[in-house]
Amino acid sequence: MKEYIRFSLVLFVIAGLASGILAYVNSISSPIIADNQKKAEILARKSVLPEASDFTEKNLDNFKYFVGIDKNKKSVGYTFIAYGPGYSSTVQTMVGVKPDLSIENIQIIYQSETPGLGANCVKPDFQKQFSGMKIPSLAVDKDGGKVVSLTGATISSRAITKSIKAGLLELQKAVKSGKSGGSK
Amino acid sequence: MSAMKEFTKGFIKENPVFVMALGLCPTLAVTSSVANAIGMGLAATFVLVASNILISMLKSFIPDKVRIPAFIVVIASFVTIVDMMMHAYTPELHKSLGIFIPLIVVNCIILGRAEAFASKNSVFLSLLDGLGMGLGFTLALIVLGAVRELLGAGQLLGHQVLPQTYKPMLVAILAPGAFFTMGLLKGLLNLVTNKKK
Repeated sequence: MKEYIRFSLVLFVIAGLASGILAYVNSISSPIIADNQKKAEILARKSVLPEASDFTEKNLDNFKYFVGIDKNKKSVGYTFIAYGPGYSSTVQTMVGVKPDLSIENIQIIYQSETPGLGANCVKPDFQKQFSGMKIPSLAVDKDGGKVVSLTGATISSRAITKSIKAGLLELQKAVKSGKSGGSK
Repeated sequence: MSAMKEFTKGFIKENPVFVMALGLCPTLAVTSSVANAIGMGLAATFVLVASNILISMLKSFIPDKVRIPAFIVVIASFVTIVDMMMHAYTPELHKSLGIFIPLIVVNCIILGRAEAFASKNSVFLSLLDGLGMGLGFTLALIVLGAVRELLGAGQLLGHQVLPQTYKPMLVAILAPGAFFTMGLLKGLLNLVTNKKK
């Protein structure tokens, strides 16, 4: 019986020390991690909407988007993150949108699709083609749209395209309601 | 002399991957590129060395009957530290290694060395053993990663090595390619070591 108490005590001491050390390391690293993520997001927003120098966050029915403002406090467009369930991951795309709701630029910020096939969505050639597109042309070529799918990765291409289109529709709604709200 | 042996045995003679066939899950999964292989290898080496040292120091404190949970707590703590530190300071690498960092906890090389070596030997020898085994593991990952990246993408460390006309052998960076490469390299190593005898 005594033996078991000793065993428990030893494990208790080891686990207790371990938790203490981990809590300390976590307190150092977690602010840096949060900071990094924030920085990466800001960087991605700037790269899809280069004219903007600052962003203000807006929210409508759980749809989060950012309004980009230039130095003269003029709105130069919007950015949002599109989430598309692809072949083996949820592809996250940062989308930059001009005030007329055509796409300025897109950037895939997270994906873990098949290497060599779907993962090619991060290549500039694929992302560049979205620039200038509007809601009606946003569909992959197989579905009658203007987006040229990646070879052997229609699922990934479709997921990205669909998520951007859905985001744009939400944005359209948000901008419209925002305008009517503002004029009141 | 024997200290040197403890250090070098992990490279070829008792290479954790090719000879002992331990820790194959992360080996097969992360070696689709050399950069991933190096990151994974070094992270595992750090955990291996740290846990070997600590377990060797604690070996008289830890009762035999509860040694496995105690080892696991020690190993898991080091892995969590590595995970948080990598997330904070090397976010890109952390992103590409993803789930495999926390999985170092269950990498059998680490528990294997704690059980087979560190719990029976001095701190200094355990350090050498951990370092040697870790570097042997890293070496194996790099070789696998290099072959797979070269065949599968025509690149090494992200730089184009083969001429652009080379059509990548896609299967090499997909899961089956890991098994093919692993099997062929293991066979090659056996061939060489058998000939020496």
